[in-house]
Amino acid sequence: MAPSATGRSAVARSLGAALIALAAAAALIAAIEFALYPGSGAGPLWALDLFTVSGLVYAAAGLLAWWRRPSNGLGVIMYGGALSWFGAALANTGQDVLTSVGIVVATVELAVVIHMLLAFPSGRLRTRPARWTTAAAYFTSTVLEVPLYLFAPQNSPRGMLAAADNPALTSAGTWLQRVVGCGIVAVTALILNARLRRAAPTQRRVLLPLDLYGIAAVLLGPLTIDVIEPLTGMSAYSGAAMELIVLGLVPVPFVVGMLRGGFARTSEVAELAAWLGADAALRPSLESALARALGDDSVTLAFWLPGRGGYADASGRPLPVPDPESGRGVAEISLDGRRIGAIIYDAALTGEPELVLAAGRVAAIAVDRQRLTAELLASQEALRKSRARLVEAADLERRRIAQNLHDGLQTKLVLLALEAQQLAGQPSMGPAAAGAATALRERIDAAAAELRELVHAVMPAPLIERGLGAAAEDLADRMPVPTRLEIGVDGNLPEAVSATAYFVVAEGLANAVKHAQASELGVRITRDRDTLLVEVRDDGVGGAAPGGGLGLRSLADRVDTLGGRLLVDSQAGRGTSLRAELPCGS
Amino acid sequence: MRVVIGEDEALLREGLALVLGTGGFEVVATAADAVSLIDRVRELAPDLVITDIRMPPGYTDEGLRAALEIRRTIPRIPIVVLSQHLSRRVALELVAGQAAGVGYLLKQRIADVSTFRHDLVRVCEGGTVLDPEVVSLMVARARADKDRLRQLTARQAEVLALMAEGRSNASIARALSLTERAVVQHVSNIYDRLGLPASDDDHRRVLAVIRYLARLAPLPVSGPRVKVADGQVDGMTQSPACLLIAAMVCGRAGRVKRRAALAQRRRRRS
Repeated sequence: MAPSATGRSAVARSLGAALIALAAAAALIAAIEFALYPGSGAGPLWALDLFTVSGLVYAAAGLLAWWRRPSNGLGVIMYGGALSWFGAALANTGQDVLTSVGIVVATVELAVVIHMLLAFPSGRLRTRPARWTTAAAYFTSTVLEVPLYLFAPQNSPRGMLAAADNPALTSAGTWLQRVVGCGIVAVTALILNARLRRAAPTQRRVLLPLDLYGIAAVLLGPLTIDVIEPLTGMSAYSGAAMELIVLGLVPVPFVVGMLRGGFARTSEVAELAAWLGADAALRPSLESALARALGDDSVTLAFWLPGRGGYADASGRPLPVPDPESGRGVAEISLDGRRIGAIIYDAALTGEPELVLAAGRVAAIAVDRQRLTAELLASQEALRKSRARLVEAADLERRRIAQNLHDGLQTKLVLLALEAQQLAGQPSMGPAAAGAATALRERIDAAAAELRELVHAVMPAPLIERGLGAAAEDLADRMPVPTRLEIGVDGNLPEAVSATAYFVVAEGLANAVKHAQASELGVRITRDRDTLLVEVRDDGVGGAAPGGGLGLRSLADRVDTLGGRLLVDSQAGRGTSLRAELPCGS
Repeated sequence: MRVVIGEDEALLREGLALVLGTGGFEVVATAADAVSLIDRVRELAPDLVITDIRMPPGYTDEGLRAALEIRRTIPRIPIVVLSQHLSRRVALELVAGQAAGVGYLLKQRIADVSTFRHDLVRVCEGGTVLDPEVVSLMVARARADKDRLRQLTARQAEVLALMAEGRSNASIARALSLTERAVVQHVSNIYDRLGLPASDDDHRRVLAVIRYLARLAPLPVSGPRVKVADGQVDGMTQSPACLLIAAMVCGRAGRVKRRAALAQRRRRRS
């Protein structure tokens, strides 16, 4: 997840400011050094620049790591590495005092690499051997460096760092530093090897090249001078440049491995806790806070719904538990001994399930709170669906009744009327009997007409036969008041939606005719993406009661069931408008 | 006359067969769905097709679409469409283009055997028959559009509605208990007032009136469209005077009265 200003606490924002200051400091130091090199005569400019450039690489990597993983110490160590490079680079500035400082800290960057190797990926030295080895590395690069300039005036400008001129002591010191240094590298390799063996296979793929590269970089210095240059005849500058490039690029794989290599932060708890305490309005979702804390963008928070016996997402939709084979891990969250949810994470990315469980424990109370919301939403959704099913079932039943009445009773009435008429036409009938038969036919006709109206009210034939547009037009045609019609839909609407829209139009028009004393009515049916808008308006007296009559109330229920809303706007003297918005996503 | 019937309900199919069994009709085939209806008609080339609107498989307007298809592809075959419900749009769709030999009636009209048979004969002869109910709907819509039709007297309005149903002068005279001469006079007055071209041909007269009514109250532009092209309205002028026709029926007599008049007419027809 990309860091965002709104998603961070006040502490994090001040961290951002501090990091910017640190970046500015690094840039300033680098600028000064670049400015000093041309007059120093210490060597080819590109070789000198390489020192400072290495420092800048360390600084950039360190600040990035610091920003993305504030509670991970690796960023701090890298920034320290940057300072050590800037310090070492001072030896080439041509200024006596600065050069001396550079000489004193010349090999600290090697100790920093050891430190980084041992502290990866958490930034912390967790075991005693690691701590001792790191301390020894810093000791070797500072204290054991002392004889190299203390007893050799030629190694510092005008011998200002030298106390005596004693080549024997100098060479003994150099020898001691080499031996101890090699020992430290060996111990480091052992520690790293042990760690590799404990690591999960996915982590091993990241750790192994990283460790090899780090060790090689540390060894490259002595190897270049003592082995590679004599063997290959490489110039001292080329050898130094190679060494510088290899060493200078060390933080790059580290920061990539830290951010992308799938090593969860070990102390994300502090930030998660900060999230929990943050202002609710500024707080990003719990899920994204967890994603940030675990360094896994794919984190999904599942809430346990005991009533349903399954997991759901934040909006109450069912969430299947992933197959363990799929590479998704599930860390259950419990509170007071009951299951409340689970964190579903990328098992390949987050190597340590313990970390996820720990994060879950920290967030448990917040998860439980959101779980209640999810549970409510789930039951609301279930209720809405069941109501929608009721409406659909009722519509189906209406259709069936209308069809049965039409096919059965109505047809029979027509045939009865036919028979009565045929009786009337029998030559054997007297005029009186014929008249009576004709009257009978007419009464049957009237009954059939009544039945037709009933069928129409139950489920209008035009709606079934030709869809909403034609049915609305048919309604408008039968209005005693001029009715303007605007229809912008085709037939592709769910049955429940088109039936509901029809009933809105029918109810709106009927009310307008009954109460509004309008001189003109208007019907508009349009579709805006996934919403069907139905509006019936009149230019009548307005002032309809907000609650509406029974018809309007049951219509509002029907609209609500489909997840839509029904609005009545009726100010006295300004006409009335009945407006329905119906979701019709297909 | 050889008749093909499209009707999915067995009872009504039998009823129709009963009505058509006598009086010169012969039911040569029945079809219970729209596809087989078209097939039977193509195969048998009958003198008349009678079809329901709602038919399998979808039970929507398959029968109507079959009728329109037949009218488009074999225009010389007369068709009567029966329905449990009448709509203005369907009427206009049926008479659109060439309007010869078409009828649109409520299903229950078959009970009034002699009128129904008479209507069928008229359609077979190339006439147009519209149910009084749908005509009154058209007139009402035209009237609702301001007062263009109010220039006609109540009697003239009645005559106009009967003209729109496709009746001949003789038939109108019988329905209104007038002499045929009086009807001719009324028709001529209506023509004058509305600027309709005089025509002795009942069929052309129907179309002119229906198209006039449709123009006064056009259907909304969306949805399936009905074309009432000017060129097809035989010489009908568009002068303001001609805009006054149909509204009359209701303008003066009022809605209730008009309904009563229609009911009375229907009774007289039988």
